[in-house]
Amino acid sequence: MRPVPETRRGLLKKTVAGAALLAAAGAVPVALRKTKLREVPGGRALQFFTPAEYSIWAAVADRVLAEEKPTGPTASDLDIAGRADAFLAPLPRNDRKDLKQLLALFDNALFSLLQGGPPRTFTSMSAEDQDAHLRRWQSSRLAIQRTGYQAMKRLCCALYFSAPETYASVGYPGPPYDLVKSVLGARR
Amino acid sequence: MIHTGSDKDLLLKPDLCIVGSGPGGAMVASRLARAGASVVVLEEGGYHTKEEFDMQEATAFPRLYQDRGNRATADLSIQVLQGRAVGGGTVVNWTTSYRTPDHVLEHWQRTEGLALTPEMLRPHFEEVEQRLSITKVDYEDTNPNNRLIYDGCKKLGWQVDTTKRNVRQCLRTGYCGMGCPVDAKQSAALTYLPDAVNAGAEVYANCRVEKIEWKATRATAVVGALLEPGTQKAAGRTIRVEPRLVVVSGGALNSPALLLRSGLDQGPVGKKTWLHPVVGMGAFYQERIEAFYGAPQSVASHHFARRSEGAGFFIEAAPVHPMLASTAMPGFGPALRARMALLPNVCATISLMVDGFDAGEEGGTVTLRDGGGPKLDYPFTDRMYECFRAGMKAIARIHLQTGAKEIVSFHADPVTIRSEADLGLIDGMAMGPNRVAVFTAHQMGGCRMGADPARSVVNPQLRHHTLANLFVVDGSVFPTSLGVNPMESIYGLASWASAHVRAALS
Repeated sequence: MRPVPETRRGLLKKTVAGAALLAAAGAVPVALRKTKLREVPGGRALQFFTPAEYSIWAAVADRVLAEEKPTGPTASDLDIAGRADAFLAPLPRNDRKDLKQLLALFDNALFSLLQGGPPRTFTSMSAEDQDAHLRRWQSSRLAIQRTGYQAMKRLCCALYFSAPETYASVGYPGPPYDLVKSVLGARR
Repeated sequence: MIHTGSDKDLLLKPDLCIVGSGPGGAMVASRLARAGASVVVLEEGGYHTKEEFDMQEATAFPRLYQDRGNRATADLSIQVLQGRAVGGGTVVNWTTSYRTPDHVLEHWQRTEGLALTPEMLRPHFEEVEQRLSITKVDYEDTNPNNRLIYDGCKKLGWQVDTTKRNVRQCLRTGYCGMGCPVDAKQSAALTYLPDAVNAGAEVYANCRVEKIEWKATRATAVVGALLEPGTQKAAGRTIRVEPRLVVVSGGALNSPALLLRSGLDQGPVGKKTWLHPVVGMGAFYQERIEAFYGAPQSVASHHFARRSEGAGFFIEAAPVHPMLASTAMPGFGPALRARMALLPNVCATISLMVDGFDAGEEGGTVTLRDGGGPKLDYPFTDRMYECFRAGMKAIARIHLQTGAKEIVSFHADPVTIRSEADLGLIDGMAMGPNRVAVFTAHQMGGCRMGADPARSVVNPQLRHHTLANLFVVDGSVFPTSLGVNPMESIYGLASWASAHVRAALS
């Protein structure tokens, strides 16, 4: 049986390709790394993200959860980046570092250019370019990019679709509280 | 008594210390406490009851699953659903109950020198089935998400049947995976653990075991830290248990990690971890399916469980609640939202690969992360890809029989099947880590049992090959996967092993 070599790679820095990419990301001139900042609602203190990382996550959540015609709250309405900040706060130190490096690479203008995208940070791109950027990460030949895409997509989706405010947009009536209450009441 | 915290450091000296309160630990605790032993059970997860089970994914996954619902292989290519609570995985599993198949026991006998036979385990399974109210589901009680699998398989002439479930007065709400809100599911927390507590066992929830201390051939102590209920942050208190005998029942992934943290790396600890890797497809119907309600799993087909052309697979249903569904649904943005908007109309059907039966198969490996938790690697192989494709084709064929409008893969670039002519598209789909959504809800192996210490971690009686007073009793001892949902096998094996634990104590 032949193992597929790329699957042996760990997350980001544990791979040769990942280490090279991260080194490249760090070497990019500051101007090309400048994240377009977004305000944290209510000026709330962040637990995990820096303001730049918060802004990257918020921009990703906007595109991952974008709709043709609005049927539910937007990612910003629910402050998905803020929820991610709270959820990620207890991560172990090494996982934190991996994720932060991933976000820096994701918003790196030079890396975007190298991959055939515009020489802009993700946070500065048009919505169309952002979607193309996400697709490049989703289907990349590099396992670490696909890993990074999935990490961001899954957490954005999990935080959004587990919020009761979104249930109506997916036709989910919610848990059968009345049934449970009536049965438990009858048993008492 | 079940303790959830302590305002002081604890030092305990029972006969028996059990690490983990899932089906293995709960069973041994019950059997040994009733036999008169003093028993302490240490559980990392919290103690939760039906009043807290609010049927919300946002509450249940962080509270009741390992790594707050985010456990995965190191490269995130396989999402790991694994329970973490008093009662372990039995609190959140979907109740599907099977005895260990005879051919699996025969395989273990042949390859690992085990003496386990169906006759030996039968009385144990019979007792478990009675205690847990394990009964077969009537076809009429299946929900459409399951019934369509049944109907499709019948039309194809494939083996299919309703499953057995461990429930009593079940309302079929559909929320087994978030903790049963009406105590219908007969989890370990409602059965064998109370049996143990009534016989004098002491259960400590919110207690993270850090290591087992040992000298020469004896385990001398189990040491850990107490966690704050709810937040699960270190509470600043320690626990030290100095028992006559230790039983490790942390489940696959956690049990091998505990042995590794303790320097007990003799033999293949962490190696040959099996996951029943799962791929699924979403079948979209014109009519409403409402797969979020009804018994989540009540039908299974084992028609392809023992294929000669590759790894076997079996087919079951998965419940469709918004959060879990969204993490598997393909794509992002408007395409994802359009699929999600059809959630009430989707059937989620899964194919579970039967791993571990090919001589060259390595499966997964557990090592330690920085910080000591389990790090799981499970390299994808051509054997897996072939099995994934075969499983997806089978799922698609089932739903083509029952009138699905389209069947979509959970794939970064999804394949859509609308007729038999489209099935070939599955052969061309790109496979690889994080190209297709892969899950596991059945973790097995990593502390395999066997006669040969070079090939196994515990002996055929589940006693550690090096430490005479340490047993491992949980799904981690299985030398292969099972080809069926593992809960009842773990209970049955633990019941059988309890006699060996008891003999070692006396």
